Amino acid sequence: QNLKCVTHNLRKMVCTWDVSSRRRHGQTDFCYTTIDHPLTECFKTKEKRVEIPVPESSTTIKITTNSISGTPFATREFEIRKKDISFIPLAPHILSLTPDFPTSTLTLKWSDNGSIFPYGLDAFWQIEILRKETMEKVTQVTYYSKLTHEDIILSWNWTSDMPLECTSHYVKIRCYINVTQFVGHKDWSDWSPVEESPGKDTEPHGSGVFPQDTVVAVGSDVTICCVHEEGQQIKRMTYGPEAYPLIRLSSRSSAIRVLNASASDTSGTNVVCSLSEDGMDGTVLFVGYAPDIPQNLSCETSNFELIKCTWKPGRPSGLYGKRGTKYSLFERISGKNVSCEVNEMNKERVCGFPVLADQKTYNFLLGVSNPIGQTEASLLVDISQRVHPKTPEKLTVSGNSSTSVHLRWFINGSFAEIRLLCQIEISNGHSEQKLHNVSMPGGKSSTYTAQLNTLHPYTKYWFRVRCSAADHFWRWSDWSRIEEHTTLEA
Amino acid sequence: MAAADTPSATTLRRRDLCSRGIRLARKMRSDVADLLDIYVERQGLDASISVAAVEGVPAAAAEHWSEQTGTQRLLDNLAAYRAFRTLLAQMLEEQREQLGDADAALGRALAAVLLQVSAFAYHLEELLELESRGPPGDEGDGPPAPPRLSLFEQKLRGLGVLRELAQWAVRSVRDLRQLARPGPGAGSAPGLAEGQ
Repeated sequence: QNLKCVTHNLRKMVCTWDVSSRRRHGQTDFCYTTIDHPLTECFKTKEKRVEIPVPESSTTIKITTNSISGTPFATREFEIRKKDISFIPLAPHILSLTPDFPTSTLTLKWSDNGSIFPYGLDAFWQIEILRKETMEKVTQVTYYSKLTHEDIILSWNWTSDMPLECTSHYVKIRCYINVTQFVGHKDWSDWSPVEESPGKDTEPHGSGVFPQDTVVAVGSDVTICCVHEEGQQIKRMTYGPEAYPLIRLSSRSSAIRVLNASASDTSGTNVVCSLSEDGMDGTVLFVGYAPDIPQNLSCETSNFELIKCTWKPGRPSGLYGKRGTKYSLFERISGKNVSCEVNEMNKERVCGFPVLADQKTYNFLLGVSNPIGQTEASLLVDISQRVHPKTPEKLTVSGNSSTSVHLRWFINGSFAEIRLLCQIEISNGHSEQKLHNVSMPGGKSSTYTAQLNTLHPYTKYWFRVRCSAADHFWRWSDWSRIEEHTTLEA
Repeated sequence: MAAADTPSATTLRRRDLCSRGIRLARKMRSDVADLLDIYVERQGLDASISVAAVEGVPAAAAEHWSEQTGTQRLLDNLAAYRAFRTLLAQMLEEQREQLGDADAALGRALAAVLLQVSAFAYHLEELLELESRGPPGDEGDGPPAPPRLSLFEQKLRGLGVLRELAQWAVRSVRDLRQLARPGPGAGSAPGLAEGQ
């Protein structure tokens, strides 16, 4: 009685049964006949279990139980139809469970055993994560895949809300294969054996506070644990100045849970684990912001040799030194990439990019990243329209006439490709100030000259000059130093 | 005044070096105390936290301090301040790596004390020169390269270094006072004989 047939692979099925009589019995004669295979097959078995093919439609089974001496004492016939057969896949086999401690991520790999099934079946994998000595269930996830009649290694990542060092994590998996045309009962496989990712609290002398020197975003909920040696006790765990309630993970590991972490000081927030016998351990947590989108990105050149890009960093990230925000300038047209050395304490950020031969248009992508996130800003610019010359130097004023003077000045930088517009400010003691514009072809680190007429004789004048690009004005240079000159007497 | 009463040039030189050394050590002690306050505050540490001894630094507390020879005092001091020079340089490097330009005040205070420690070590070398035995070579007697420490351990180690340095600054004043005392045997232990 209670004949049950279960298939694990849709081709073979395992039938099992009970024997109601209390009499001691010997071997069993097992015979079966299927519609698609009229020849009866028989065999003897000591087990109450046999494996026979799954029939196309139904199978007639005759089971004869014999006494110890071999004489039959009970015979029973069963009709097993397709719908009476259960389909339960075999428990999946975990190939590996690999912890990545820096990211607290477990990577699970297993084989989908697809080769024993027809192509295209939908498979559902239930994965359960357990934790602590008490193997509490942390989460259960269902993962979907399609079988391809080949054995495919599937991989799945899970990031723990607590460092993997804190205590052992366990994983088990089972599957359900949706065979729509299978009319019998379908069910989940058994769970796989549990796979363990051991915590530091299982290592003989494992100890420490975890995570070690990590960076998290402001507002995060963080679990920090203290793993200690056998026999030690945790007296207190503080996060910054504040003691937190302990969460027991195992006999050698307890944790605290910091909710909605606020930005840490420059040197990070200390987490101190005070242990019995004056023991102490700790870690530092850096709580900051992802970088803000750079604002007012602007690029110009002062000499057609170097392009200087500047921007406002936006909200400070609160992270410094090697955790500080890194900037890189990528130019899409040339494919050239430059990493920027930036002083975090400056209000404005600066990065230099070489002017490239025969390239006027630059398609910049400013990449910004820190351990918490990344962002970018872009700028398309024709550098000849972004000329901001350096301050004119060595201004000299000469003249041997009563109404005109000759000015000379020097500007560092090669402006051979553009015309310069220079503005000369003329002032004399009578609070009379005039601006005289003059344009001239640009040169390469050249001296420029201009002549001023219609001045008053025997009059003291002060002159200064500044320059910009004549076409596509962008910005004036700074004013040169002031030069004084007195015209000759008439 | 008989020739014997007028102190020799060496003695005058030693007293001058000792008194300048004492002034330097006192200044260092007060600067280290200020640095300790900044350090504890900026590193978010609890001022009462207990810290293990720092590997590679001779402890300031010396057994049989009163019986030490002058030379031994100088040698102990020199070994300690050479070690502190290395340790403070490591701390400065770590501080730059961890914080960049973000905590210039702490960086400046550390650099200032490092400068004083270097100057004091040089001063001790001059005193040893006086004894015509010359200071021992500088290689190899400093602390070992820092083991790979976590940030928290680095913070504690820095605290330990500064606390020990503060102790040494106090001891150095006492050592130099001992050395500055006039005449052989009168307070200055044997080994630092006159005019040797």
